[in-house]
Amino acid sequence: MSTVIEQIEQQIAKLSNKAVKKNTGNIRAIADGVAKLDGLSDVMYNEMVQFPGGAIGIALNLEEDEVGCVVLGDVSQLKQGDEVHTTGKLLSVPVGKGLLGRVVDALGRPVDGKGPIASTESYPVEKIAPGIIVRKSVSQPLFTGIMAIDSMIPIGRGQRELIIGDRGTGKTTICLDTIINQARINKVGLASGAKDFRPVYSIYVAVGQKQSNIVRTLSALEAADALQFTIIVAAPAADNPANQYLAPFSGAAIGEWFMENGLDALIVYDDLSKHAVAYRQISLILKRPSGREAYPGDVFYLHSRLLERAARLDGKGSLTALPVIETQAGDVSAYIPTNVISITDGQIFLETDLFNQGIRPAVSVGLSVSRVGSSAQIKVTKQVGGKLKGELAQFRELAAFAQFGSDLDAKTKATLERGARIVELFKQPQLNPVAIEVQAAVLWALQKNYFDTIEVKHVVGAANSLKDFLTSRQDALLATVRTKAALSPEIEAGLKTACDQWKATYTAK
Amino acid sequence: MRGDKKTRLLAKQLFKLSLVNGEVSAAQVAGVLGYLEKVQPRQPLTLLKLYHCAIAAELAKSRALVEHAGPMADSALQLIARAMTQKYRRPVTASAQRNDALLAGLRVRVGSDVYESSVAGQLAALSAAL
Repeated sequence: MSTVIEQIEQQIAKLSNKAVKKNTGNIRAIADGVAKLDGLSDVMYNEMVQFPGGAIGIALNLEEDEVGCVVLGDVSQLKQGDEVHTTGKLLSVPVGKGLLGRVVDALGRPVDGKGPIASTESYPVEKIAPGIIVRKSVSQPLFTGIMAIDSMIPIGRGQRELIIGDRGTGKTTICLDTIINQARINKVGLASGAKDFRPVYSIYVAVGQKQSNIVRTLSALEAADALQFTIIVAAPAADNPANQYLAPFSGAAIGEWFMENGLDALIVYDDLSKHAVAYRQISLILKRPSGREAYPGDVFYLHSRLLERAARLDGKGSLTALPVIETQAGDVSAYIPTNVISITDGQIFLETDLFNQGIRPAVSVGLSVSRVGSSAQIKVTKQVGGKLKGELAQFRELAAFAQFGSDLDAKTKATLERGARIVELFKQPQLNPVAIEVQAAVLWALQKNYFDTIEVKHVVGAANSLKDFLTSRQDALLATVRTKAALSPEIEAGLKTACDQWKATYTAK
Repeated sequence: MRGDKKTRLLAKQLFKLSLVNGEVSAAQVAGVLGYLEKVQPRQPLTLLKLYHCAIAAELAKSRALVEHAGPMADSALQLIARAMTQKYRRPVTASAQRNDALLAGLRVRVGSDVYESSVAGQLAALSAAL
């Protein structure tokens, strides 16, 4: 009991008798989560403003005679004439490893019912992105565990790779696969005790999503035992637009802590289309001039300043960003998609047609590109998958022509057969990422024509059978592929022996 | 209250006309009011409200409202006025107002700045800290 008394006494001692200066104002009008305030002559842009009842706001519009402020919290108790005061602080969120495994809101407050967050540090939500001098080029891979992506559209640590596609094409699934794959790699790496191993921590920012979807994501991560390496920042559709606007910036601040402290982090913004909509809503209520599609003029800056914060720092860590954009009827030339495409270092385009044909993940190889990731690709993937993108492009072109003609020459037939097998090979069930060494082994088998004698409809089953065979019986070989990360005559001999053994036992079902 | 752009601009111009050497002049304000009565501008009520707000905000910068719970000596009031005049680099007059809700101590308001040294304020800060 005496400890409690001491704590209160300490708090009392902290309160000196000196007068405390506060800059105050009054609510002039309040509607839709935005308050117009008068007074506040000393308020700063983006400064936190304290409202009565504990709610806080952010000053976003500084005008000559009034301040426009978004309110974060319950506005139902606020009324015209209420006094507000400045805090002298910019909005900041708790950061650190204490947040791992937790679900927080846009202000970093826990919403998962697991008690308070053990965090002593906080980072400002808005921060200027790292400059040119402190940056380092992308040269370390970040494996998604998705064969089509890791072999053809590789992602590097510190890269910004856009995931774009219509609704229901598997955008979130790709992000979750990537997060789960990081967790798997982390577990293997940390268990191995390798000194140079760098785990990747993940941050999933859910903006404007249904609560049920967030719960599903949480359950998927928990089921895959990936939550211990993941932080979820949730600003669901039911949250006010101010929280939805802030959530990606809060996530970026949380990710920056890992980057600044020499660690690697991955951040998923799911999705920035809804983020832009929330920002448009706030801007329209603040009576900012609207432009194309009623978005405010600074919507490009909104996303560029967010995504520029993802970087690889010299002598420190990295922050890799996977922003998600939802297109309408596959239109990538709309305002927000083109903005984000131009900001990011590449995009993975998911097609509804491919998805409906059963090609999942529905990655459109022609429209997808990784501008910097190839320099981060490991040698073994380059050796076994270097020609895949070209072969698939050839296949798509020939497949279109082959529909019109019946007689095909042998070479065209061979290209079509091979392309069809590659397409089948890249089919992968959701939430089941494949380790890079297994990917390399399967692609090696493809390169060495082990799948050529298998009927196209049986390729998926055959690939799964090969993966099972390798993981259950060829652990040592896979470990060598993982550590050497390049094909050597010994590894090739081992792969040949393993594939021959598998082929001898394999029967199509 | 907010009015259109033209009304806001006119209110701003009228406010500027009401200042002499950076201070609100009663004669100028009377002149502006007389002019408005004569000319009958668009949205007169909104214009007058905007003008009133601007003048009131400007006057508040030159007035220190001292809220106190206990007795308040004239000398203390003069001391506050002097300190505020020095701080804001403009003549500031102090006026006292009794407020028992403060429990003890003072609260001084100059424009939108509030200097809090009352017991009620400290208790509120303590409550927020806990």
